[in-house]
Parts: sequence; C-alpha cells; structure tokens
Amino acid sequence: MTVPQPTQEDLNERAAIDRSARYPVMFFFTSAAAWLLFATLMGLLSSVKLRVPGLWDDCPFMGYGRLFPVHTNALVYGWAMQAGIGVMLWLMARLTRSRIQSPAALIVAGHLWNAAVVLAVVAIWFGAGRSLPLLDFPGWMWPLFAASYAITVLWVIPMFLGRRNALFYISELYLIGAAVWFPWIFITANLLINKGSAPVMGAGANAWYLSNLIYFWMAPVALAVAYYIIPKISGRPIYSYPLAQASFWLLAVLAGWTGLSRYMGGPFPAWMSAVSGAAAIFILLAILATVVNLLMTLRGCTKLWEYSPSLRFTVLGMLMLAVYALLSALGSTFVFGKNLQFTHFTAGLDLLAFYGFFSMTMFGAFYFIVPRITASEWPSGAKIRTHFWFNTYGVATIVVITLVGGIAQGGDLANWNPERAFSVSTTNSGAYIVGRSVAWALITWSNLVFLSQLGLMFLGKGRKSSGPTLIHAEPGEVSSARAAAGIH
Amino acid sequence: MNSTNFWKLLGALGLSFGAPWLFLVVLPYLGQSDAKTVPYGEGEEVEGGLAVYPDPTLQRHGASDYGRDIYAAEGCAYCHTQVVRPTYAGSDMWHSGWGGREEAGLARETQPADYATEGVALLGYQRIGQDLSNIGHRVSSREEMHRHLFDPKSFDYESAMPAFKHLYRPAAVGTGFVPTPRAEALVDYLFSLKKDQPLPKAYLSGN
Repeated sequence: MTVPQPTQEDLNERAAIDRSARYPVMFFFTSAAAWLLFATLMGLLSSVKLRVPGLWDDCPFMGYGRLFPVHTNALVYGWAMQAGIGVMLWLMARLTRSRIQSPAALIVAGHLWNAAVVLAVVAIWFGAGRSLPLLDFPGWMWPLFAASYAITVLWVIPMFLGRRNALFYISELYLIGAAVWFPWIFITANLLINKGSAPVMGAGANAWYLSNLIYFWMAPVALAVAYYIIPKISGRPIYSYPLAQASFWLLAVLAGWTGLSRYMGGPFPAWMSAVSGAAAIFILLAILATVVNLLMTLRGCTKLWEYSPSLRFTVLGMLMLAVYALLSALGSTFVFGKNLQFTHFTAGLDLLAFYGFFSMTMFGAFYFIVPRITASEWPSGAKIRTHFWFNTYGVATIVVITLVGGIAQGGDLANWNPERAFSVSTTNSGAYIVGRSVAWALITWSNLVFLSQLGLMFLGKGRKSSGPTLIHAEPGEVSSARAAAGIH
Repeated sequence: MNSTNFWKLLGALGLSFGAPWLFLVVLPYLGQSDAKTVPYGEGEEVEGGLAVYPDPTLQRHGASDYGRDIYAAEGCAYCHTQVVRPTYAGSDMWHSGWGGREEAGLARETQPADYATEGVALLGYQRIGQDLSNIGHRVSSREEMHRHLFDPKSFDYESAMPAFKHLYRPAAVGTGFVPTPRAEALVDYLFSLKKDQPLPKAYLSGN
C-alpha cells in the first residue's frame, strides 16, 4: 500500500497551517529549550553537590535539597510540558487540517506558563518549596499552571471538533486524551494536597500524580508524535490500526491505577500498592504492543534511521518508553521493589521517563516541525549529530548508572549490621554519582548545541534550501534522503 | 468527528480515568480525612499516662509547624524518608532505632495516624540519609541536633549531608555560631518526630 501523493492544493494548505502555527509553537519550543538548558545545568550542579556536600555550603541556594527540585521542576514544567504543548498544537492543527486561530492568545498563554515556571523555580530556590516531588511550588501557584494549560486545551478541542479531514488518526486520540487528562490529574492532586486533611493520602496523591503525569500526559503526547512521524517518514500506514486502538484503551483504563506502588510497604492500606503494582505490570502489555506496532511499521526501511533526525530521536524515545515500562513493572513487585525503593533506582526511573523517552521523542518532533513552520532548514547536520550522540550517551549513562547504582545502594540499605556506619551506603554509591555528573555535563553540552541551532531557526536564520538537513548527506542518494525527511 | 461522537469519546475517556480517580485517590482521601483519635481501652497502661492515639501533644512542640516548613523548604525529604516498612517489605525494622525505642519494645512500622497533625506527610523520595520517622528518640540533646545540622561531618566524616550553615550566625561574643529561630524551629520539628506510640487495641481491630 502506498500513500497518495499530495496535490499542490494540499501543499498550499499545509503551508498555510504551518504559517498560522509559527509564532505560538516557536514561542513554546524556544522557551522550552531555554528551560532545558537551565534544567540540565541544575542537574549537573545537584549531582555534583550530592558527591561533594560541602561545596558552597554557606550559601542557602546551593543545598542539594533545593537544587534537585529546582532541576526537576524546570525539567518537567519548563522544558517537557512546554515542548509537549507546542507539539500538541501543531500536530492537532495538521491532523485536522485546521489553521490555528488567534495565535496571539496562545502566546499570552505561553507567557503565563513561563511566568508560572519562573515563580515556581524562584519560590523553591528561595526556600518556599514543599518537598513534594513535582508539586514543590507553594500552594497558591497551581491555578497559574492550570489556567494557561486550559487556554491551550481551548484551542486544541475546537480544532478537533471542526476537523475538515475525513480520516481519524490514532494520534488525535492520544492528543485529546492528554489534553483532558492532565488538568484532571493536576487539579485533583493540588486540591487534595492543599486541603491537607489526610496527610498520608496527600503523599499518596503526590505519588499518583507523578506516575499519572508520565502515563497520562507524557506517554500520550510522545505516542501521538511517534504515530505521526513514523508512518510519515517511512511512507507506510501503521502496521495494525486495531492494535493501536486497543493499546490506547488499555493504557486509558490502566494508567490511573498506577503510582501508589512508589510507597509500597508504607502507611497505606496494602491493597493500594498491590493494585498499583498490578496495573504497572499490565500496562507493560499496552506499551510493548504499541512499541512493537511502531517498529513493525518501520520494518524493512531502517536505512531511513541513518538520515532522518526526527526518526532517530523518535524511535530511540519509543525504545526508552518500553524500557521504562519494563523497569517500572519490575520495581512494582515486592521481589525487586523492596530493595530498590527509595534508592537511586527510583530517581533514575523518573529521569528515564522525563528525559529518556519523553524528551527524546520531543527532539524528534522538533526536528520535524521547526523547519516546516519557519520555512527554513536546520543550519547544520553535523550539529544534529552532536546533539544526538551526546544526548544518547548522556542519557544512557545516567539511566544505567542510576539503575545499577540504585541496586548497589539498595543492597547496602538492606544491610542492617549495627557495626556498619549508615554512610557506607552513600560512600559505596559515590562513584555512580560521579558518573552521573559526567553524564549531565555531556547532556548540557548537547543541549547547548541544540539551543543554538533552535535559536537560529527562531530568528529566521535557518538554511534556505529546498532539501532538508539530514544527519548524513551523501551525494547520489538525494531521493532516499528526501524520503528520509518525510517529503513524498 | 461530529460533536455527539466527541461527547461519547470524552465520556469513555472520563470513565476509564474516573474509576481509579474515585476509588484509588478521592474516596481513600476523604475516608482518611475524618480519622479520629482512638482512646486506650481498659487495662492498657501507656507510659506517660497518654489517653489517646495519636497523642495530639506529642507531635507539636511550640513552633514546630514552622519547623516542618523549614524541613520541607530545605528539601530534607529528598534524602530522608519518614516511612518504616514492615519486615516483609524491607529491612527498615532491623535498622537500629528506625522503628522507635527498641529497648522498650516499642519499635513498629509507621501507621497512617502517626502523621495526623501534619497537612501532608513528608514520606520522602530517596534514602541518601537515614529514615527520620523516630529521629526525636535517637538524638539525646538539642545541642547534638544542632551540631548534626551545622556540621554533619563532625559525626561521620563520610556523611553526604550538606552543612546548613545559613541557619546559623556567628555568635556576638567569642567564637562559634548560634542558631537562628529557623534552626530552633527545625530542631523542634525533628524532636517531634516520634512515631512509636503504642497502638490501642481498638485501633488495631479497626473499631
């Protein structure tokens, strides 16, 4: 089965949609990338502080307990969510063939969101944090995030309703899911925690929020991207549409039950962490079905992976999603979980979600979307290569090191010999922290390269060319290279 | 997609998510919200003559609400948990002092009501440092607690804990440092962390 060639009319329409999306989407993308650079620097600084606790300890802003939440909040709300919102807007416009109306209002929403992130980061840094992972900001701040997110939803849903396209894509299903689920999770968690009448369930709501943010927002947005980019670049329809739909609904039914296994053995009714653990295991089925479906779509045209940066990042992101689902399922069982709980493993798993699968897929989307909406090409293929490899090695190193370090630390924590100082567990995992710092340095460099390229595109200084920028451009292979960039 | 189908889709998305939202989060939250103190029954003698569990006076000392805010703001919970898991789920109970006063036979795993007077329990994220559920029993004096915060390496050179020097200021006379009110509040809070109060029989039987 071949995909029909677009007519000139189609191409004009796409160009018009891209033009309407340019300013709001580029606003979200560029500010996201700036936050990403900040967040990786904070990641570097916080892991250095973890190994050398005495560094700058006169300064209240340099404690690990403040730097780490500054890092995670900037990474998730500054980078990941803004990147995801930008992708959501563009993808929905393209899939439903509708232009983005009044883009200025979206830019206002973007400013509001950025203001909220700045306030949250400053508040945590100046000592108003709440030590609640990813809900660290002071209690009055959540309506700012909710309001600016609501504006973007008010743009996404009408596009979906006013669709001019007879086809209904699986990506749209994921985007609508992400659009409506996130506010629900976010508002619930914040209201319950601010209510403050059930302390232990407040912490439970926090754990539930963390897991649902990953499975109910990050995974749907990333999968919407993958279900769009992989068929687009390979020029093939999705391997199995019914499987794609089935795995969507499986995820929808199961994801809400996950999260409480973070505190298994904690002061909760035992059924809660048991149900969450079971859900995490069943969800593995949905994720593996999805990833296999996507990879089968690519079967026989893996050469495209060498050329197309979008495809490379997206496929890598999907593989990391599968690894994440597998490890979180393992960690939800008593056998593994009881020794991995509260170790670097937990932190590494969260990072694998936020940075590994989600950010990688978003990079794939950026490399696809930005040239289209700015009508220019990425300045340098070599720099895309640098971004890819430094990022890949950096993330792989962090994830492997934190997971292995977590296993080692878990073993030390399980050792209750009273003759042994507690600090043996931190000393033994010290080498892993050094590795983590080195990896953050690699990632910081790669993101600096990425931001510089994106900044040029933002300023309209991209390469003016009819051919796309590819990771490897080889003479004589222009036709396959064009295919690699998704132009059919 | 016409709008009828859209509402159907929205309904399906809502139902799939609504079930866990209601049964895993909202109802358990509301159920825990009206938890009451449980009195000790006949013949249950408790040290100090306590009448109810959780002891409302035990967990709050003076400015310890403020101390809890300092604990949260400094991100203590990113390295210290306040969870003691039962033995089938981890080795916490074997760590000396984590579960409470072992010599008095009071060590136990943490219960939901132990956190009753906090708005949100700071259960923690990682264990870079020790569990603090019962730190109030493990440190002998305020001075020692201050020294833990001001110079953790004086207890264990390998400690990964940063020194919270900004909570202290140079003494007006002589050498040395004096705690700020924030350090005092934090120490108040840490001394209020005692989660080994004996459980009344009525609590255990759920009545």
